[in-house]
Amino acid sequence: MIAYILRRLLQLLPVLLIASTGIWAMIYAVPGSPVAAMVGENATPEQIQAVTVRLGLDRPVHVQYAAWLGSALQGDFGLSIQNREPVLNLIGQRIPATLQLGLAATLVGLLLGIPVAVLSALKPGSLLDRGLSAWSALALGVPTFWLGILLILLFAVQLRWLPSASAYVSVFESPWDAIRNLFLPALTLGVYVSGIFARFLRASLLGELKADYVRTARSKGLPERDVIGRHVMRNALLPFVTIVGLMMATFIGGTVVTEAVFTYPGLGRLLIQAISTRDYPLIQGCILFILLVFVFINLAVDVLYAYIDPRIDLE
Amino acid sequence: MTLRVRGLKVTFVGSGRPVPAVRGIDFEVSANQVLGIVGESGSGKSVTSLAISGLLAPGTQVQGSIELDGVELTTLGAEALRKTRGRDVGMVFQDPTTTLNPVLQIGRQVIEGQVAHGQVQAGQANQRAVELLREVDIPDPEGRVSQFPHQFSGGMRQRAVIAMAMSGHPKLIIADEPTTALDVTVQAQVLAVLAKRQADTGAAVILITHDLGVVAEVADQVAVMYGGRIVESGPVQAIFEHPRHPYTVGLLRSVPRLDTVDTRLVPIIGQPPTPTELPTGCAFHPRCPVGRNRLVCAGQDPALRAVGPSHSSACHFPEEVAPLMAAAEPKAAVGPRSPAPVEAPTTAPLLVVDQLQVYYPIKAGVLRRRVGWVRAVDGVNLAVHAGETLGLVGESGCGKTTTGRAIMGLVAKSGGHVLFDGQDITHLKGDGMRHVRRHMQYIFQDPYSSLNPVLTVGDIVAEPLRIHGLYDSLGGAKWVAQLFDMVGLSTTMMQRYPQEFSGGQRQRIGIARALALKPRLLILDEPVAALDVSIQAQVINLLQDLQRELSLAYLFIAHDLSVVRHISDRVAVMYLGRIVEESTKAELYKSPVHPYTQSLMSAVPVPDPGARATRQRILLEGDIPNPSSPPTGCHFHPRCFKATELCKRESPAFVAYPGSPTRVACHHAGPLP
Amino acid sequence: MSGRWLHTRQAAGRVLAHKGALLSLLYLALMIVTALLAPWILPFDALTQDYVNMLQAPGAVHWFGTDELGRDIFARVIFGARTSLLTAAGAVTIAGLIGVPIGLVAGFFGGWRDTLLMRFVDVLLSLPGILFAMALIAVLGRSQMAALVAVGITGIPSFARITRAQVLSLRKRDFVTAVEALGGSSSYNMFRTVLPNAWSPILVQVVILSSVAILIEASLAFLGVGIPPPTPSWGEMLRTGKSFLHDSPTYAVFPGLVLTFTILSLDTLGRTLAKVLEDRHEVVDSPGGKP
Repeated sequence: MIAYILRRLLQLLPVLLIASTGIWAMIYAVPGSPVAAMVGENATPEQIQAVTVRLGLDRPVHVQYAAWLGSALQGDFGLSIQNREPVLNLIGQRIPATLQLGLAATLVGLLLGIPVAVLSALKPGSLLDRGLSAWSALALGVPTFWLGILLILLFAVQLRWLPSASAYVSVFESPWDAIRNLFLPALTLGVYVSGIFARFLRASLLGELKADYVRTARSKGLPERDVIGRHVMRNALLPFVTIVGLMMATFIGGTVVTEAVFTYPGLGRLLIQAISTRDYPLIQGCILFILLVFVFINLAVDVLYAYIDPRIDLE
Repeated sequence: MTLRVRGLKVTFVGSGRPVPAVRGIDFEVSANQVLGIVGESGSGKSVTSLAISGLLAPGTQVQGSIELDGVELTTLGAEALRKTRGRDVGMVFQDPTTTLNPVLQIGRQVIEGQVAHGQVQAGQANQRAVELLREVDIPDPEGRVSQFPHQFSGGMRQRAVIAMAMSGHPKLIIADEPTTALDVTVQAQVLAVLAKRQADTGAAVILITHDLGVVAEVADQVAVMYGGRIVESGPVQAIFEHPRHPYTVGLLRSVPRLDTVDTRLVPIIGQPPTPTELPTGCAFHPRCPVGRNRLVCAGQDPALRAVGPSHSSACHFPEEVAPLMAAAEPKAAVGPRSPAPVEAPTTAPLLVVDQLQVYYPIKAGVLRRRVGWVRAVDGVNLAVHAGETLGLVGESGCGKTTTGRAIMGLVAKSGGHVLFDGQDITHLKGDGMRHVRRHMQYIFQDPYSSLNPVLTVGDIVAEPLRIHGLYDSLGGAKWVAQLFDMVGLSTTMMQRYPQEFSGGQRQRIGIARALALKPRLLILDEPVAALDVSIQAQVINLLQDLQRELSLAYLFIAHDLSVVRHISDRVAVMYLGRIVEESTKAELYKSPVHPYTQSLMSAVPVPDPGARATRQRILLEGDIPNPSSPPTGCHFHPRCFKATELCKRESPAFVAYPGSPTRVACHHAGPLP
Repeated sequence: MSGRWLHTRQAAGRVLAHKGALLSLLYLALMIVTALLAPWILPFDALTQDYVNMLQAPGAVHWFGTDELGRDIFARVIFGARTSLLTAAGAVTIAGLIGVPIGLVAGFFGGWRDTLLMRFVDVLLSLPGILFAMALIAVLGRSQMAALVAVGITGIPSFARITRAQVLSLRKRDFVTAVEALGGSSSYNMFRTVLPNAWSPILVQVVILSSVAILIEASLAFLGVGIPPPTPSWGEMLRTGKSFLHDSPTYAVFPGLVLTFTILSLDTLGRTLAKVLEDRHEVVDSPGGKP
C-alpha cells in the first residue's frame, strides 16, 4: 500500500515541477516587463531599478526560480502588489468560504443526482427514464452563470426572498444566515454537479445490470433488493470514486464562476480580482495553490480507489 | 422427483418480428439422472435452461408446461418463482470469471442464497461456506473462503460456482456449458466434482454442451437440439451407437476423436441457422444428406416419433439414417495422404527452433524494479519439415501461443534461435523480417477479431500483396479471385465486409489472406477453437486439402488433442514453457510415455459411452502452476503420480526414448502399467 | 466502397431518427446560416449606438430589446454567435490536430513514448480547464486569438485520452497483429489499419468539445477575461446584463437562452452520435463459446 502511494507520488513529481515552472514563468511571458506592470507608466529609471532589485529580478533566472519554489514550499508565496499582504494569508482568509460552498454544492449534487440515476437505471427507456435523462441534460447544458442569474432574477429581484449577493457567513456561527446566503450559490453549482453524477452513475448502473453476475444472483433466487443493493451498487459505485477526480476539474471551474455570479468572497473571486488588477504574485499564488489541491485530491482518489477495489494489486 | 417439460416454446418479442428461439420441446429428467442436451449455436439450448429457471428477460413469451416435482413453474407468480428458483434449482453457467461478482468475497457469494431463503442462520454462514468449499475439493477452505474471485484459478472458480449452485441441495441442477472455458485436465476435475455432488444429493442434472465427448462420458439420457427443437432423444448408448437422425450422424462424423484411426472428417455442409432465419419445414433439411432435395422435408416439420425403446427422432426418414452411419465407420486404413513415414524425413527441416526462450520481467516495488521472470517459453526445440504438420499441444498457460508468436517475430525472444530454411532469423527486424514473412504466415484463433472491419474481404485478402508491393507480379485481381476459390468462397462476395460473414467463412478468409504470398510455412494458432463443431470439420478438411495441394508445412497449435491427432504428422506436448514429449502421431497417441501426456489423454472425453467403464482415469490434483514461480526441478512434479525426490531436485533432459521416435523429458518415462 | 457509404448513410439516418438530434441539427444549422449571413439580413447591426432607446424591453422593433448603449440585442446575439462559433471551430481544430496524434502514438507504441506523452497530457490536466485558460489569457492578453488558443489547449487532453483509449483497445484486436505478421510497418499499421477504425469516438469528441469550447469561452467572457469589447460575445452580454437586472430583466435572459440552446444542441447531437456509433460496432459472440 505504502509502495503504491510512494510510486504515485514519484509519478506526480515531474508533473508538479513542470506545472509550477509554467506558473512561475507566466510572469515572464507577459508583454512588457513585470516591473512596468507594478510601477506604472510614469516611473523614473531609479524607481524602476529600485523595484527591480527589491523584487529580486536582477538575479539569474534559475536562481529566481529556485528562490520562488523554495519559498513557496515553505509557505511563503510572496506579497500581493495591491495591499502588500502575504499572499498565503489572503488565500487562507478565503478558504473557509470556498470550502463551505463546495461542500454544500456537493451535498446538493448527491441528493439530486443519485436518486435520479437509480430511478433511471431501474427502468431504462421508460417515460420516467427519458424525463430524468432530459433533466440531466439540462442540468449539464445550462451554463452555471446563467442559471445563477436566472435564480437571482427569480428569488432576489422578483420574490425578494434571498439576497442577490451572497456574503460569507460561517455555518457554525449563524446557521440560518449561512443558509440564506449559501442557498442560491449552492443550488446553482449543485445542479450542475448533480447532472454529472446522475449521468455517470446511470451509465455505470446500466452497464453493471447487464453483467453475468447479476444473472447468477437472480438464479440463486435472491430478492431483487439484494441483487441491486448488494451486488450491483457496489460494482457501480466503484468507478464512481474515480469520477470524483475527473469532476473536480469542472467543479473548481464552476466554483470560480459561481462565486463571480453571486459575488461570494471565496478563492475564485480572489483570483478574478487578482487578474483584473494584474497582481502577479497573487495570481501565481492562487493558481499554485489550486494546482496543489487539485493534484492531491486526484492522488487521494486514486489511492482510495485502489484500496476499495479488491482486484487492484497494491504491491 | 421429476422435471417434466411439455411443449415448451420461447419467443423473443422485440421491435421487429417475433423470434422463435425454442419451438416446442418435450423432455424429462429424474433424480440421480443426467440429461445431456447437445446443440450448436442457435439451437436454443441455453434459452431452454433460462426458461426453466425463469431467468428470461421480462416480456419474453413462454408457452407450454414446465413441471418440477409436481409444481407447474409457468404459472407461478414472480415471488413464488423466485423462491422455487432459490431452493430447488441450481444453475452453473459457462464462464466462471464473469459469473461471480468480482468485488464480493467467495464465501459470501456461495452462501448468500441459502441465507436469503432462511436455510442457514447468518451466524453459521461462514462455517457452512467453508464446508461447501471443502465438498468441492477446494484446498484450504478456511483460508479461501474470504478471498475474492480473481484470487482463484479458473477451475477453482467453477468448483466454487458448483458449490454455490448446490448449496441448498436443490432438486435440479442446470449446468450450461460448465467446462467449455476450462482446460481439459481441469474439466475432468470439475466434471468429477459435479458427479460427486450429484451422488451426494441425489439431484437431477441437465448438462448443456456442444461437446459430444463430455455427453458420452457423463450423461444417461441425451437430447439433441437443432433450430429450436429436439431432433433426437434417447439413452446415451442408443444415441451414439444407433443414431436415428441425420444431424446426429453428421455431428458424430464431423467430430475428430481421440480414439479412432485416421478417417477424413465428414463435415455437415452449410451453417447452423439463426432463429431469425429458419428454413421452412424441417430446420435441418438444407444441410441434410437424406432430406436435401425432398419436398416432404422442405414442406413439413417432422414430429418427434419413437424409433426404439425411449428413443425418438424427428425425421421423416429415420430408417435411411442407419446406412449413413455404416458408410462412415472408421476404417483401419490410412487417410487420403500417402502412408506417413515412421522415420523422420531425410530432407532438412524448413523450420528449426533451438532452445527458444521468452521471458517476461516481473516488476514490483516502488521503483518497479525487475524482481523475477515469467518464463513463458523456457527452452523449446522444434523442427517442421516441408509438407508436414507438427502439432503443438498443451493447456492454457503452457506457452504454445507465445512460442508461435515468437517464431513469427510478433513477440520478443529472450534467447535461443529460430532458423527458417537454413537462415537464422532470430534477430531480424524491419525489412529483413518482412522478407521472411513472405514465406511464413500466421492464422489467428478468433475469426471475429482477425479481419479489419473497414476493409472489404477482397481488400483484406489482397492486403499482403499490397504491403509487399507484389500485387501485380503475383497476378493481381485474378490471383485474389483464385484464392477465394481455393478456400471455397464465392468470388461474388469479395466486395462485402467481414461483418456479413459467419465464423467459419471468416476463418476461410483469414486462410486465403495467409496464402496470398504463397508461403511455405503456416503457423496456425487454434484455428478452429472458436467455431461450431460442424464447421470445424469443414475448416480442418480445407486445411488438409490445401496442405496437399500446395505442399505447405504447418505448425498447428491447439489445446484439443482430438483435433491435433487428426491433422498432425508429429506432435509435441508442452507444459509450463517446456516440451515434455514429442513423437510421431501414431506413437504418441498409442503409447505416450510422459505422465503428463498420459494424464492429458485420459482426461479428454471421448464420444463413446461404452468406454466409460473401461477407460483408465488419471485425475490430476491441483491446478496448473503460475508461470512466474514454477516448481523446482521438473515443472510437473507436484502433480505427477510418478514423482520422486529426484524429480524435485533435477530438471530432466529432453532425450530420445529408446525403441521409438519419441523424445521425452522425464526421469521415469514409460508406458502406463 | 459502396458498402462503407451505405453504412455512413445508415448511421446518419439513425441519428436523424432521434427527435432531439434532429431538432438540435436544425437549430444549429439555422444559427450557423443566420450568423454567416448576418451583415446582410439583419435590420440593425451590433455596434450602432442609440442613446435614445437604451435598455428597452423586447418589442416589435427590437426583438430582444436594447442594451445600455441602445444597441439592438438581437443583432448582438447573432454576431455573438459568430464569435462563439469561430472560437469553437478554432479551439477544436487546435485540440484535435495536437491531441489525436498524441493519443495515436502513445496508444500504438506504448512504452516510453506513452509515458512521456501522457505525462505531458497530465501537465495540461494539472489545472482545471477554465483556470488554465485564464492563466494563459493573463499572459497572452485578451483577444480572439488568445481565447481560441487557450480553449484549444485545454481541449488537447480529452482528444489525446480518447484516441489513446480507442487505439489501445484496437491494438489488442487480431487484425492489427495480422498486418504486423504480414509484414506491414508500424506506420502503415497505425495510419491505415488503426486510425480508420478509431474515428467514431473522435468524431463524437469533436462535437462535444465544441460544446465545451463555447461554454468556456462564454465563461471567460462572463468573468471579464474574454474577448474585449466592442466585439459582441454572449458571455460579455450576460456580464453586463447582470448589472442591469433590476432595470432590464430580459437583458440577461436572451443571450443566455441562445447560449444554452446552442450548448444543449451540440451536447444532444454528440450523445446521439455516440450511441448510434457504439451500436454499429457490435461484435457478434463466437458460437459455442469455446476457450
